[in-house]
Amino acid sequence: MKSLLCFTLVVCWSAIVCGQQKTEPGRCQFHSVNSVGLLEGETGSAFQIQSINGMKHGSWFTGIGVGLDFYRYRTIPLFIDFRKEFGHRANKFFAYADAGVNFAWLTDKEKQIYQMDDHFSAGFYTDLGLGYKIGLGKSNHLLLALGYSLKKLKETYNAYDWYSPPDYPLYKEHIDYNLNRLTIKIGWEFLSETKPYRESLLAPH
Amino acid sequence: MKQKPRLTNHLRLFMLVTFLFTGCMKDKITKTYRISTPIFEVLTKFRETIKSQPAMDIGVAGKITIDGKYIYLSEPLKGIHVFDNSNPASPKNVSFINIPGNEDMAISGKTLYADAYGDLVTFDISDPVNVVAKNFAANVFPDHAIYAYNAQFTAGIAFNPDSVNVIVGYTTRDTTVDYDPGSNYPLYSGCPTCSFVTPLSSMAPVAAVPNKTATNGSTARFSIINKFLYTVGYSSLTAFDISNSFAPALTSTVQINWHVETIYPLKNRLFVGTNNGMYMYDVQSSPATPALIGQFTHVRACDPVIADDKYAYVTLNDSSACLGFVNQLQIIDIRDVSNPVEVRLYQLTHPVGLSKDGNTLFVCDGRDGLKIYNAADVNNLQMIKQFNDAVDYDVIAENGIAIVVASNGIFEYDYSDLSNIHLISKIQTQAE
Repeated sequence: MKSLLCFTLVVCWSAIVCGQQKTEPGRCQFHSVNSVGLLEGETGSAFQIQSINGMKHGSWFTGIGVGLDFYRYRTIPLFIDFRKEFGHRANKFFAYADAGVNFAWLTDKEKQIYQMDDHFSAGFYTDLGLGYKIGLGKSNHLLLALGYSLKKLKETYNAYDWYSPPDYPLYKEHIDYNLNRLTIKIGWEFLSETKPYRESLLAPH
Repeated sequence: MKQKPRLTNHLRLFMLVTFLFTGCMKDKITKTYRISTPIFEVLTKFRETIKSQPAMDIGVAGKITIDGKYIYLSEPLKGIHVFDNSNPASPKNVSFINIPGNEDMAISGKTLYADAYGDLVTFDISDPVNVVAKNFAANVFPDHAIYAYNAQFTAGIAFNPDSVNVIVGYTTRDTTVDYDPGSNYPLYSGCPTCSFVTPLSSMAPVAAVPNKTATNGSTARFSIINKFLYTVGYSSLTAFDISNSFAPALTSTVQINWHVETIYPLKNRLFVGTNNGMYMYDVQSSPATPALIGQFTHVRACDPVIADDKYAYVTLNDSSACLGFVNQLQIIDIRDVSNPVEVRLYQLTHPVGLSKDGNTLFVCDGRDGLKIYNAADVNNLQMIKQFNDAVDYDVIAENGIAIVVASNGIFEYDYSDLSNIHLISKIQTQAE
């Protein structure tokens, strides 16, 4: 619920910022960043895919992202993305910061059939990094990014020992996963220039 | 002139950083679990508490046995409630037998056999209101034993109960430790207090052989055929010679399978329900050592079983304790016990206990309550009536009265007229 509220706030903020660009019409742009990547950590290598969509103002970008993360357990990260570009060339560096939650969506293979009432709770997700953006024409960019990503999950299940005395107190055990990974992404960013709402109303049809 | 950074240089930089930092990425995984420390009591003192007390309200209903006009209802780990059911429309709660650790029971004649953790306790129930413990067979159910490590038992040699401690409770605390992800498999720490021993069996005969056996529910783990009491543990079938009714003597323990659940007697056969199949044992030729004569395997599920001369009726449910995932009534042709054949499957909601009287089949179907079928044709069960009074667990149907153990009480239904099956009484439990 908190996450939903945060996302709503980000979307509203983006809309307000864009709506206030009366003096610089056309500066507010919708961008879509879509990437695939590799997650490298103690568990091994895993694939990830992400789609981030949001608004860009000047060198700043804010968007909402969703993806699939296959590191140790398959999860769906849902997050807010902030990024800042450096320089004015077609090719330039950028920094990004993602924060949100990731929801477990375990594969059949990952489900622990021997644990009773096994349940994974959604946990914190973050990804911080630097990247390089290569211009491919006016509206398209190739992105390369390298960062650090943390995925947290909590697994809860009934502790039970078949050979315990019958009144041995039953309880739930839990395992906290703090999964630290290096993330390498390659992506494609495209933009769609939009005019402020007020301006679009005034524009001749 | 300043040179533009080339793409290949950036790629090299990425690869270098990746190579350098990958080794730094460590997962931090912790496991939080509870450490329980046992509280001990001397066995002598513990046994003194095992006796009749005034009637008390039922907390949680467990296994049920019907012995003539009396209903014996186990309250798990607490003891056995005794009801006078002379008038099924108005059963009377007459006494409570305090038996810590009790789960199962069986009655033959005037003798009640009940487990008290790892012990088999024999009671004289000549007067059900004043039941007296006559004998303790020590540690014959090691799966449930609560004896401390200092317990020293030797076959046939009496021991001093004052020298033995039993666990009567636990103090607990939570702890968090680093967890090795590679060890994410079930841990069988084993019962910290179990010790596998041969029971005492040298007591002199004190009573005649009983010949009248009470009726147990289908979820029972105790069963009596003739002069033998049979019990099932987690992975075993144990036989006790009860020729001397007050001093059962363990004669054999047969290993069956992992997670044995129920045992059902029919003539000279035992039907054992496990979470991966039904096993049939012959006790005619060698009652002291049951012999496996047939088995029928099924998918993993909890599975009480009953049988008649032709068919076995097996309910499979998806209780988490059995790690199952199906909810079915299986009917199996057992006329050739060496080659049982599935006749028909019926999908149900969460079937548990069941009972059969003539052609009338009673199935406790979890939250769907009690379902009553005409089972004259096993290929085409016809539902006669359904009662959604509660979440039902087990049922005993005999002499026109079906006694049902449910989540919130004991229900009695009159089915003497199948066209007018109706509820006649209810004993309320505290649990809902």
